[in-house]
Amino acid sequence: MAARRPFRFRKLLRDLHRDVGYLAAFLVVAYAISGIAVNHVADWNPNYRFEVEERTFPPFTPASREEAAARLVELLDLPGPPREVFRSTPTDVRLFYEGWTVTADTAAGHAVVERPHERFVLYDLNWLHLNKGKGAWTWVADLFALALLFLGLSGPFLLKGKHGLAGRGKWLVLAGVLVPLLFLALRRLG
Amino acid sequence: MTSSPRIAASLVLVLLLATPLVLAADKVFGEGVGKAPLVKVSELLEHPEKWVDKPVRVEGLVTGVCKKRGCWMEIAGDKEFQSIRFKVQDGVMVFPAEVVGHRAEVEGTFVKVVLSKEQALARAKHHAEEHGEEFDPSSVEGPVTFYMIRGTGAVVHF
Repeated sequence: MAARRPFRFRKLLRDLHRDVGYLAAFLVVAYAISGIAVNHVADWNPNYRFEVEERTFPPFTPASREEAAARLVELLDLPGPPREVFRSTPTDVRLFYEGWTVTADTAAGHAVVERPHERFVLYDLNWLHLNKGKGAWTWVADLFALALLFLGLSGPFLLKGKHGLAGRGKWLVLAGVLVPLLFLALRRLG
Repeated sequence: MTSSPRIAASLVLVLLLATPLVLAADKVFGEGVGKAPLVKVSELLEHPEKWVDKPVRVEGLVTGVCKKRGCWMEIAGDKEFQSIRFKVQDGVMVFPAEVVGHRAEVEGTFVKVVLSKEQALARAKHHAEEHGEEFDPSSVEGPVTFYMIRGTGAVVHF
């Protein structure tokens, strides 16, 4: 009869950390990419890029919203009447088509055709990361958060010795704690 | 085994058939609408003091949206040349670019915003940057007062 092997807590932790890591790998990468993208929302739109085309036409002063729309369709050779029309002033006109708009200053004879496009892949990653889907995705995201919690808590205890928590690990963990604490302290002092 | 490809094909078909239904649906943001009284934009702009700090609901065409954060929508009024801004806290609701040109109902508190000249300058500068326009400081002559709706919820009809 073979001798019973002793229970090894650290081995179990390593095995669990490895398998949870495999499961979480895709979302860790996806959320990290999306995180960088939305961190810089003040500088760009992380979900859309806007295709802009400037056009000119002979200036005119429309007597009505309907006339403004009809003249712009003709002068800019637009594909038929717009779905909606809005004037913010008698000469500032906006035409709304399905998924794109035309903003025209009829007094200046200047128009901007604008088409928003979802950013390739990034739009979908943000959709997941920012939980736009709500519903069932909230539960998946909660499970992912629990997986991250486990990875974060188990990570420091995977190794023994000089590379473990008792060795240089404690200094790296401390650095990881101190950097955000420093920012929080500065926030309170500032 | 032949059933797996058939099941996969059926699932794809169901998804394709369901897509227009999903796209055509109303999209609810935040707490949605329905609790506050429906008020015309013209009424709000012509008699603002009557409505300041009160919950209101308005409906109209979405004529603009915050291009960076999706944190506001501009709603056209019932009368020409009128519109009102519907502003939400960053990240609480994020309005996608597709809402522009669609009808929406929005709900929140009607507020009066008074800006000093410095604040008005900063706002005008931000507006110019957001729209890729040249900023002209002389366009702001003094303190500015305007009205908007601080949003709690919205429904956009796609």
